Amino acid sequence: MRNRMSGFAVLFLVMALVLSACAPAAAPAAAPVAEGESTEAVAAEGGDGATSELRVAWWGSQNRHDRTIAAIELFEQLHPEIKVVYEFSGWDDHWTKMTTQAAGGNLPDVMQQDYARLEEWVSRGLLMPLDAYVADGTLNFDNVSESALAGGIIDGQLYGVNLGTNSMVIVIDADKLAEAGLEAPRPDWTFAEFEALATQLHENLGIYGFTGGLSNEQLWKNLYLSLGEWVYNEDGSALGYEDDQPLLDYLGMVKRMQDAGIIPTRETEVAEQGSSVEDNDIVSGDAAMTYVWSNQLVALSAAAGEGRNFLLVPMPRPEGGASTNYLKPSMFFSITSQAKNPDAAAMFIDFFTNDIEANKILMAERGVPISSAVRDALQPELDVAQQQIFNYIAEIESSVSPIPPPDAAGHANVINNVYWPLVMDPFFYGQQSLEDTVRILREQANAVLAESAGQ
Amino acid sequence: MSNALPAPAAPASATAKAPTRPRKRGGARRTDNLMGYLFIAPWLVAFLAFTLIPIVASFVLAFTNYDVLNPSWSWVGLQNFERMFTRDPRYIKSLQATFFYAFTAIPLRLAFALAVAMLLNTHRRGVSTYRAAYYAPSIVGGSVAVAVMWREIFGADGLINAILGTDITWLGNPNTAIWTLIVLAVWQFGSPMLIFLAGLKQIPREFYEAAAIDGAHGGQQFWHITLPLLTPIIFFNLVMQLISGFMVFTQAFIITGGAPLDTTLFYALYLYQRAFVSLQMGYASAMAWVLLAIVAVMTALVFRSSSYWVFYGSQEEN
Repeated sequence: MRNRMSGFAVLFLVMALVLSACAPAAAPAAAPVAEGESTEAVAAEGGDGATSELRVAWWGSQNRHDRTIAAIELFEQLHPEIKVVYEFSGWDDHWTKMTTQAAGGNLPDVMQQDYARLEEWVSRGLLMPLDAYVADGTLNFDNVSESALAGGIIDGQLYGVNLGTNSMVIVIDADKLAEAGLEAPRPDWTFAEFEALATQLHENLGIYGFTGGLSNEQLWKNLYLSLGEWVYNEDGSALGYEDDQPLLDYLGMVKRMQDAGIIPTRETEVAEQGSSVEDNDIVSGDAAMTYVWSNQLVALSAAAGEGRNFLLVPMPRPEGGASTNYLKPSMFFSITSQAKNPDAAAMFIDFFTNDIEANKILMAERGVPISSAVRDALQPELDVAQQQIFNYIAEIESSVSPIPPPDAAGHANVINNVYWPLVMDPFFYGQQSLEDTVRILREQANAVLAESAGQ
Repeated sequence: MSNALPAPAAPASATAKAPTRPRKRGGARRTDNLMGYLFIAPWLVAFLAFTLIPIVASFVLAFTNYDVLNPSWSWVGLQNFERMFTRDPRYIKSLQATFFYAFTAIPLRLAFALAVAMLLNTHRRGVSTYRAAYYAPSIVGGSVAVAVMWREIFGADGLINAILGTDITWLGNPNTAIWTLIVLAVWQFGSPMLIFLAGLKQIPREFYEAAAIDGAHGGQQFWHITLPLLTPIIFFNLVMQLISGFMVFTQAFIITGGAPLDTTLFYALYLYQRAFVSLQMGYASAMAWVLLAIVAVMTALVFRSSSYWVFYGSQEEN
């Protein structure tokens, strides 16, 4: 009797405990996981008498939420017939929520999009082309350069409106540089010069010459962009470059610098993962250089406090290569194909792009605005860091590489399941030779990409 | 979890009582039934919507390549299962991490819980305050807040390095990272401790008195009286801890994110990453069912082994 009882007990216990814990995670189609957790769906005030509703969703920091909500309230004052309902969250929650809503056919009218995901969303028919609204003037791009819009164009049609321009930038602590008795680098400096400068800063000052994830996939992409190639081939079914030597040289340099203590080791990086710009070693004076996306300089300077001087320099490039920088649309507003109110959505995006008052509220928090009229109007109100960003973007604009195509459909899979766990981490932890590392990247990434492209 | 327990009992008792129930007119009876269903409706609806339907859905999805965004998913047969064991090196790493965690954290936690329970099994003044104090970590220990705190404690400039005067990257070193999670798990010894405490109180004092008269010292008393009489409790705790141990998620998700080198990539964490980061719902569902099988086998093994080491007092009387 006891045996039979225990048999039932095992089965029952396991079913009850395991399935009740796992099922919601495994079957999101039926479980509205994202609703109501860190998200808020709020109807803005002043919507009395509104006849149509517009749903807007974005990701960002608290600062962005506050500014965006204030801009939305201004929009509602100008358009009392439209009631804006908004949902905001952090990056991860935003995408969990959007994919869940997409599966349920319940996407908002306007969603914030990212360059890396735009193509995937377009290829699945989830976004609406905006060209008709441009043609009839609802979306007015008179003050916008073509290159600023280029990132949102897929197969000749516009699917996302750039909300601000960004580029990567090396930030140098000018006081540390002077203290070490060294010269600022040229704008077109090479990796060899970069390594030499970081080494000297480290040796003269006894702090990290440089801090920041040099093994980050963004730098892998930039490397091949500079050489006129791209990491993925045209249909995203394999890697797009033939020659592994530049990567071999680059990773060799990064490892050399880690081993010499010039930059933090990968182990240190991993231990500090998830820390924000404010925790950067350059803020505390423990490093002389770092890199950030240009819009992050605002947070970096704020954290560093008064009396600090930072120099902005373009990213270094491989010997004989073109610029490793390009102008990236920081994010887009797109109209989804499930939108119930696309006309109001187009008006809203135009308001965000061109309205001077709205942009004085938004204060270039999403990157340098694409409209020249807006940029001119903001200029006198910018603080030092923002002025540096505006100037930096203006300086590099003419010499940057063209914007690379959006990432392949299998990109996220490559990065999460190949790039870090099988390639970069084993190499920087000293478990894998450089030659093996580059070979494994090619083999495994090609396998994942071929599968993703084949679906 | 606990609200699933009454389910199988309910129909059994209903059928048992049916013959003895006085006959009623059909209409009144139907109303009675309806009222009954209405009363359990909130539970029933939630059970269907959040447990049963998702379970069935995940079973179906396990044989597809469904990825949320793409409407044109297709049946792939056993391909998801085949990939797990033949073409996914990270899956093997997640199994290694999970088994290592289960086989270290659980015995350590149980040993620690038993030790503390024995310390608290006295009649000193204020002992109930101590019990409450030592139980507290297991209430807060699974929370996000404690996980975030743990990150800081083991950070480069954290408390542990400050106390030890070292400069160890606890969370970045593949040899130490998983141990920070194991220490956190051991610290949450509260609920097995309470159960042990209840078990210890069941052991008759006379046994110890008799042993003391025969000259048995503390260690012998523990080995020959406490431990054998406590085996049913140990067994219960082991099964409960084993099941939850294989599903550990929150701590790794927040503290290490699976890093470094996937040494803390616990099964549930990897499943989550495949499902919600890579959006491979089909693959993740397949992984969930394999996890169920693994836990079922492990639990069955413990039940099987119990006849060799679990001592029920009543057996002797039979």
